[in-house]
Amino acid sequence: MSALETLKAPSPAAANCAASAIPPPFSLKSLAPKRAMRQRKSAQDDARLIERLKAGDQDALEAIFNLYSAKLYNVALRILGDAPDTEEVIQDVFWIAYRKANSFQGNSQFSTWLYRLTVNAALGKIRRSKKNKEVEYEEFLPKFQKDGHHAVRPVVDWSDTLDEKYSKREVQQLLGKSLDQLKPIDKSVIVLSDLEGLSDKEIAVALDLTVSAVKTRLHRARLFLRGKMAVHLGYTAA
Amino acid sequence: MAKCKQSSKAVTSKTCRQMTDLVLGYLTGKLSPSVKRAFEEHLAVCPDCVNFLNTYKKTVAVTKSVQQTDLPGRVRDNILTFLRKRIRRLGAVLLCIVTQLAI
Repeated sequence: MSALETLKAPSPAAANCAASAIPPPFSLKSLAPKRAMRQRKSAQDDARLIERLKAGDQDALEAIFNLYSAKLYNVALRILGDAPDTEEVIQDVFWIAYRKANSFQGNSQFSTWLYRLTVNAALGKIRRSKKNKEVEYEEFLPKFQKDGHHAVRPVVDWSDTLDEKYSKREVQQLLGKSLDQLKPIDKSVIVLSDLEGLSDKEIAVALDLTVSAVKTRLHRARLFLRGKMAVHLGYTAA
Repeated sequence: MAKCKQSSKAVTSKTCRQMTDLVLGYLTGKLSPSVKRAFEEHLAVCPDCVNFLNTYKKTVAVTKSVQQTDLPGRVRDNILTFLRKRIRRLGAVLLCIVTQLAI
Protein backbone atom coordinates (compact mmCIF):
# COMPACT_ATOMS: atom_id res chain seq x y z
CA MET A 1 0.00 0.00 0.00
CA SER A 2 1.41 3.39 -0.94
CA ALA A 3 1.80 6.26 1.48
CA LEU A 4 -0.97 8.19 -0.22
CA GLU A 5 -3.46 5.33 -0.14
CA THR A 6 -2.64 4.77 3.50
CA LEU A 7 -3.21 8.38 4.37
CA LYS A 8 -6.68 8.38 2.88
CA ALA A 9 -7.72 6.22 5.88
CA PRO A 10 -6.50 8.46 8.69
CA SER A 11 -6.16 6.10 11.64
CA PRO A 12 -3.07 6.29 13.88
CA ALA A 13 -1.88 2.92 12.62
CA ALA A 14 -2.35 4.02 9.06
CA ALA A 15 -0.48 7.22 9.75
CA ASN A 16 2.44 5.20 11.12
CA CYS A 17 2.46 3.06 8.03
CA ALA A 18 2.30 6.16 5.86
CA ALA A 19 5.22 7.79 7.59
CA SER A 20 7.37 4.72 7.04
CA ALA A 21 6.69 5.07 3.33
CA ILE A 22 7.74 8.72 3.20
CA PRO A 23 10.41 9.08 0.55
CA PRO A 24 13.79 10.16 1.94
CA PRO A 25 14.99 13.73 1.47
CA PHE A 26 16.97 14.48 -1.70
CA SER A 27 20.54 13.18 -1.60
CA LEU A 28 23.11 14.75 -3.88
CA LYS A 29 26.15 13.34 -2.07
CA SER A 30 26.97 10.75 -4.74
CA LEU A 31 27.16 13.51 -7.37
CA ALA A 32 29.45 15.73 -5.30
CA PRO A 33 32.94 14.58 -6.52
CA LYS A 34 32.03 14.79 -10.23
CA ARG A 35 30.40 18.16 -9.71
CA ALA A 36 33.46 19.45 -7.83
CA MET A 37 35.75 18.28 -10.65
CA ARG A 38 33.59 19.97 -13.28
CA GLN A 39 33.54 23.16 -11.22
CA ARG A 40 37.37 23.16 -10.89
CA LYS A 41 37.84 22.72 -14.65
CA SER A 42 35.23 25.35 -15.42
CA ALA A 43 36.92 27.73 -12.96
CA GLN A 44 40.30 27.21 -14.70
CA ASP A 45 38.76 27.83 -18.13
CA ASP A 46 37.01 30.92 -16.76
CA ALA A 47 40.26 32.24 -15.26
CA ARG A 48 42.00 32.20 -18.66
CA LEU A 49 39.06 33.89 -20.35
CA ILE A 50 38.76 36.51 -17.63
CA GLU A 51 42.43 37.48 -17.97
CA ARG A 52 41.92 37.95 -21.70
CA LEU A 53 38.69 39.86 -21.08
CA LYS A 54 40.46 42.18 -18.66
CA ALA A 55 42.99 42.87 -21.42
CA GLY A 56 40.10 43.94 -23.69
CA ASP A 57 40.10 40.84 -25.90
CA GLN A 58 36.89 40.83 -27.94
CA ASP A 59 37.18 37.11 -28.74
CA ALA A 60 37.23 36.39 -24.99
CA LEU A 61 34.00 38.34 -24.60
CA GLU A 62 32.40 36.33 -27.40
CA ALA A 63 33.63 33.08 -25.85
CA ILE A 64 32.11 34.12 -22.53
CA PHE A 65 28.94 35.14 -24.33
CA ASN A 66 28.73 31.69 -25.95
CA LEU A 67 29.26 30.01 -22.59
CA TYR A 68 26.80 31.97 -20.48
CA SER A 69 24.31 33.87 -22.64
CA ALA A 70 21.67 31.10 -22.77
CA LYS A 71 21.69 30.63 -18.99
CA LEU A 72 21.62 34.36 -18.26
CA TYR A 73 18.88 34.87 -20.86
CA ASN A 74 16.72 32.32 -19.03
CA VAL A 75 17.36 33.92 -15.66
CA ALA A 76 16.47 37.40 -16.93
CA LEU A 77 13.46 36.15 -18.87
CA ARG A 78 12.05 34.37 -15.80
CA ILE A 79 12.52 37.46 -13.66
CA LEU A 80 11.21 39.95 -16.22
CA GLY A 81 8.71 37.79 -18.13
CA ASP A 82 9.22 39.96 -21.20
CA ALA A 83 11.44 39.08 -24.17
CA PRO A 84 12.36 42.61 -25.42
CA ASP A 85 13.32 43.72 -21.89
CA THR A 86 15.34 40.54 -21.47
CA GLU A 87 17.30 41.19 -24.67
CA GLU A 88 18.18 44.68 -23.43
CA VAL A 89 19.26 43.35 -20.06
CA ILE A 90 21.51 40.64 -21.52
CA GLN A 91 23.03 43.15 -23.92
CA ASP A 92 23.82 45.48 -21.00
CA VAL A 93 25.17 42.64 -18.86
CA PHE A 94 27.79 41.60 -21.42
CA TRP A 95 28.74 45.19 -22.15
CA ILE A 96 29.22 45.84 -18.43
CA ALA A 97 31.17 42.57 -18.11
CA TYR A 98 33.52 43.77 -20.86
CA ARG A 99 33.98 47.28 -19.52
CA LYS A 100 34.14 46.37 -15.84
CA ALA A 101 35.99 43.06 -16.10
CA ASN A 102 38.76 44.51 -13.94
CA SER A 103 36.32 44.96 -11.07
CA PHE A 104 35.91 41.17 -10.89
CA GLN A 105 38.21 40.29 -8.00
CA GLY A 106 37.81 36.53 -8.13
CA ASN A 107 36.19 36.37 -4.69
CA SER A 108 33.31 34.40 -6.19
CA GLN A 109 32.92 32.24 -9.26
CA PHE A 110 32.83 34.24 -12.49
CA SER A 111 29.40 32.76 -13.27
CA THR A 112 28.12 34.08 -9.92
CA TRP A 113 29.41 37.55 -10.84
CA LEU A 114 27.54 37.32 -14.16
CA TYR A 115 24.38 36.16 -12.38
CA ARG A 116 24.75 39.14 -10.06
CA LEU A 117 25.04 41.56 -12.97
CA THR A 118 22.01 39.94 -14.63
CA VAL A 119 19.75 39.97 -11.59
CA ASN A 120 20.73 43.54 -10.71
CA ALA A 121 20.00 44.69 -14.26
CA ALA A 122 16.66 42.84 -14.30
CA LEU A 123 15.59 44.14 -10.89
CA GLY A 124 16.61 47.66 -11.93
CA LYS A 125 14.44 47.38 -15.01
CA ILE A 126 11.46 46.24 -12.92
CA ARG A 127 11.97 49.12 -10.48
CA ARG A 128 12.05 51.63 -13.31
CA SER A 129 9.04 50.18 -15.12
CA LYS A 130 6.91 50.04 -11.94
CA LYS A 131 4.71 47.39 -13.52
CA ASN A 132 5.32 44.65 -10.99
CA LYS A 133 2.28 42.49 -10.24
CA GLU A 134 3.26 41.17 -6.80
CA VAL A 135 0.49 40.23 -4.36
CA GLU A 136 0.29 39.85 -0.59
CA TYR A 137 1.67 36.44 0.39
CA GLU A 138 -0.33 35.98 3.58
CA GLU A 139 -3.47 34.64 1.92
CA PHE A 140 -1.51 31.79 0.33
CA LEU A 141 0.65 30.75 3.28
CA PRO A 142 -0.22 27.86 5.63
CA LYS A 143 -2.23 28.88 8.69
CA PHE A 144 -1.97 27.41 12.18
CA GLN A 145 -3.97 27.27 15.37
CA LYS A 146 -2.59 28.73 18.58
CA ASP A 147 -1.32 25.30 19.64
CA GLY A 148 0.72 25.02 16.43
CA HIS A 149 -1.51 22.56 14.55
CA HIS A 150 -2.76 23.17 11.01
CA ALA A 151 -5.72 25.57 11.10
CA VAL A 152 -7.63 23.70 8.39
CA ARG A 153 -7.68 19.93 8.59
CA PRO A 154 -7.28 17.58 6.95
CA VAL A 155 -4.47 19.01 4.83
CA VAL A 156 -5.11 17.54 1.39
CA ASP A 157 -2.34 15.87 -0.60
CA TRP A 158 -3.02 17.23 -4.09
CA SER A 159 0.40 16.32 -5.47
CA ASP A 160 -1.04 13.62 -7.76
CA THR A 161 -4.25 15.54 -8.52
CA LEU A 162 -2.24 18.32 -10.15
CA ASP A 163 -0.88 15.97 -12.84
CA GLU A 164 -4.22 14.16 -13.24
CA LYS A 165 -6.22 17.34 -13.68
CA TYR A 166 -3.85 19.45 -15.76
CA SER A 167 -1.42 18.92 -18.61
CA LYS A 168 2.25 19.71 -18.04
CA ARG A 169 1.83 22.86 -20.11
CA GLU A 170 -1.10 24.05 -17.99
CA VAL A 171 0.85 23.40 -14.79
CA GLN A 172 3.77 25.39 -16.17
CA GLN A 173 1.44 28.25 -17.11
CA LEU A 174 -0.07 28.25 -13.62
CA LEU A 175 3.40 28.27 -12.10
CA GLY A 176 4.50 31.07 -14.44
CA LYS A 177 1.56 33.26 -13.35
CA SER A 178 2.27 32.54 -9.70
CA LEU A 179 5.98 33.27 -10.14
CA ASP A 180 5.05 36.66 -11.62
CA GLN A 181 3.22 37.50 -8.39
CA LEU A 182 6.29 37.00 -6.23
CA LYS A 183 8.33 39.96 -5.06
CA PRO A 184 11.11 40.42 -7.67
CA ILE A 185 13.86 39.56 -5.17
CA ASP A 186 12.03 36.37 -4.11
CA LYS A 187 11.46 35.44 -7.72
CA SER A 188 15.19 35.89 -8.29
CA VAL A 189 15.93 33.52 -5.40
CA ILE A 190 13.55 30.87 -6.80
CA VAL A 191 14.98 31.24 -10.31
CA LEU A 192 18.59 30.94 -9.16
CA SER A 193 17.86 28.09 -6.76
CA ASP A 194 15.22 25.89 -8.36
CA LEU A 195 15.77 26.69 -12.02
CA GLU A 196 19.52 27.29 -12.14
CA GLY A 197 20.56 25.02 -9.27
CA LEU A 198 22.81 27.54 -7.52
CA SER A 199 23.72 26.87 -3.90
CA ASP A 200 22.34 29.12 -1.15
CA LYS A 201 25.83 30.57 -0.73
CA GLU A 202 26.16 31.41 -4.44
CA ILE A 203 22.70 33.01 -4.41
CA ALA A 204 23.66 35.03 -1.34
CA VAL A 205 26.70 36.40 -3.20
CA ALA A 206 24.73 37.04 -6.39
CA LEU A 207 21.94 38.90 -4.60
CA ASP A 208 23.99 40.49 -1.83
CA LEU A 209 21.95 38.73 0.87
CA THR A 210 22.96 36.58 3.83
CA VAL A 211 22.64 32.80 3.39
CA SER A 212 20.00 32.83 6.09
CA ALA A 213 17.99 35.49 4.22
CA VAL A 214 18.22 33.40 1.04
CA LYS A 215 16.81 30.36 2.87
CA THR A 216 14.00 32.39 4.41
CA ARG A 217 13.04 33.95 1.08
CA LEU A 218 13.27 30.63 -0.76
CA HIS A 219 11.06 28.87 1.77
CA ARG A 220 8.47 31.64 1.90
CA ALA A 221 8.33 31.88 -1.89
CA ARG A 222 7.85 28.11 -2.16
CA LEU A 223 5.08 28.23 0.45
CA PHE A 224 3.40 30.96 -1.58
CA LEU A 225 3.68 28.95 -4.82
CA ARG A 226 2.36 25.87 -3.02
CA GLY A 227 -0.58 27.91 -1.70
CA LYS A 228 -1.36 29.27 -5.15
CA MET A 229 -1.45 25.75 -6.61
CA ALA A 230 -3.63 24.47 -3.77
CA VAL A 231 -6.12 27.32 -4.19
CA HIS A 232 -6.13 26.80 -7.95
CA LEU A 233 -7.11 23.18 -7.37
CA GLY A 234 -9.95 24.26 -5.08
CA TYR A 235 -8.29 23.56 -1.74
CA THR A 236 -7.15 25.96 0.94
CA ALA A 237 -3.51 27.00 1.24
CA ALA A 238 -3.45 25.44 4.72
CA MET B 1 -8.50 13.28 13.36
CA ALA B 2 -8.67 14.56 16.94
CA LYS B 3 -6.90 11.38 18.04
CA CYS B 4 -4.03 12.09 15.70
CA LYS B 5 -3.84 15.61 17.03
CA GLN B 6 -3.61 14.38 20.61
CA SER B 7 -1.13 11.64 19.82
CA SER B 8 1.16 13.94 17.84
CA LYS B 9 1.24 16.34 20.77
CA ALA B 10 1.96 13.57 23.21
CA VAL B 11 4.51 11.62 21.19
CA THR B 12 6.54 14.27 19.34
CA SER B 13 8.21 17.45 20.42
CA LYS B 14 7.37 19.34 17.20
CA THR B 15 4.18 21.17 16.29
CA CYS B 16 2.90 21.36 12.70
CA ARG B 17 3.97 25.02 12.58
CA GLN B 18 7.53 24.07 13.56
CA MET B 19 7.45 21.25 11.01
CA THR B 20 6.62 23.80 8.29
CA ASP B 21 9.62 25.90 9.31
CA LEU B 22 11.91 22.86 9.21
CA VAL B 23 10.80 21.38 5.90
CA LEU B 24 13.46 23.18 3.82
CA GLY B 25 16.23 21.91 6.10
CA TYR B 26 14.76 18.41 6.02
CA LEU B 27 14.67 18.26 2.22
CA THR B 28 18.24 19.53 1.89
CA GLY B 29 19.56 17.21 4.60
CA LYS B 30 20.60 20.15 6.78
CA LEU B 31 18.80 19.14 10.00
CA SER B 32 20.84 17.87 12.94
CA PRO B 33 20.26 14.16 13.68
CA SER B 34 18.14 14.91 16.76
CA VAL B 35 15.95 17.47 14.95
CA LYS B 36 15.61 15.15 11.97
CA ARG B 37 14.52 12.35 14.30
CA ALA B 38 11.94 14.62 15.94
CA PHE B 39 10.76 15.71 12.46
CA GLU B 40 10.26 12.11 11.36
CA GLU B 41 8.61 11.16 14.65
CA HIS B 42 6.05 13.87 14.02
CA LEU B 43 5.50 12.69 10.43
CA ALA B 44 4.84 9.20 11.75
CA VAL B 45 1.76 10.38 13.65
CA CYS B 46 0.57 13.37 11.60
CA PRO B 47 -0.92 12.66 8.16
CA ASP B 48 -1.53 16.40 7.74
CA CYS B 49 2.20 17.08 7.85
CA VAL B 50 2.91 14.14 5.52
CA ASN B 51 0.45 15.67 3.07
CA PHE B 52 1.97 19.10 3.58
CA LEU B 53 5.43 17.67 2.90
CA ASN B 54 4.22 15.89 -0.27
CA THR B 55 2.64 19.05 -1.66
CA TYR B 56 5.72 21.14 -0.76
CA LYS B 57 7.91 18.62 -2.58
CA LYS B 58 5.55 18.66 -5.55
CA THR B 59 5.80 22.45 -5.70
CA VAL B 60 9.59 22.27 -5.76
CA ALA B 61 9.48 19.54 -8.41
CA VAL B 62 7.14 21.58 -10.64
CA THR B 63 9.36 24.65 -10.25
CA LYS B 64 12.49 22.67 -11.07
CA SER B 65 10.85 21.22 -14.16
CA VAL B 66 10.29 24.64 -15.76
CA GLN B 67 11.59 24.32 -19.28
CA GLN B 68 14.58 26.38 -20.25
CA THR B 69 14.07 28.67 -23.21
CA ASP B 70 16.66 28.59 -25.97
CA LEU B 71 18.34 31.88 -26.67
CA PRO B 72 16.65 32.88 -29.96
CA GLY B 73 19.14 33.13 -32.85
CA ARG B 74 17.91 36.61 -33.75
CA VAL B 75 18.47 37.84 -30.18
CA ARG B 76 21.93 36.24 -30.12
CA ASP B 77 22.86 37.99 -33.38
CA ASN B 78 21.43 41.34 -32.21
CA ILE B 79 23.42 41.26 -29.00
CA LEU B 80 26.68 40.21 -30.66
CA THR B 81 26.25 42.95 -33.29
CA PHE B 82 25.62 45.49 -30.51
CA LEU B 83 28.70 44.37 -28.56
CA ARG B 84 31.00 44.41 -31.62
CA LYS B 85 29.82 47.91 -32.57
CA ARG B 86 30.33 49.17 -29.02
CA ILE B 87 33.81 47.66 -28.80
CA ARG B 88 34.78 49.20 -32.15
CA ARG B 89 33.52 52.58 -31.00
CA LEU B 90 35.32 52.26 -27.67
CA GLY B 91 38.53 51.30 -29.52
CA ALA B 92 38.20 54.36 -31.76
CA VAL B 93 37.69 56.64 -28.75
CA LEU B 94 40.71 55.18 -26.96
CA LEU B 95 42.84 55.52 -30.10
CA CYS B 96 41.79 59.15 -30.39
CA ILE B 97 42.74 59.83 -26.74
CA VAL B 98 46.13 58.12 -27.14
CA THR B 99 46.82 60.12 -30.31
CA GLN B 100 45.88 63.40 -28.59
CA LEU B 101 48.17 62.59 -25.67
CA ALA B 102 51.03 61.74 -28.00
CA ILE B 103 50.83 65.08 -29.83
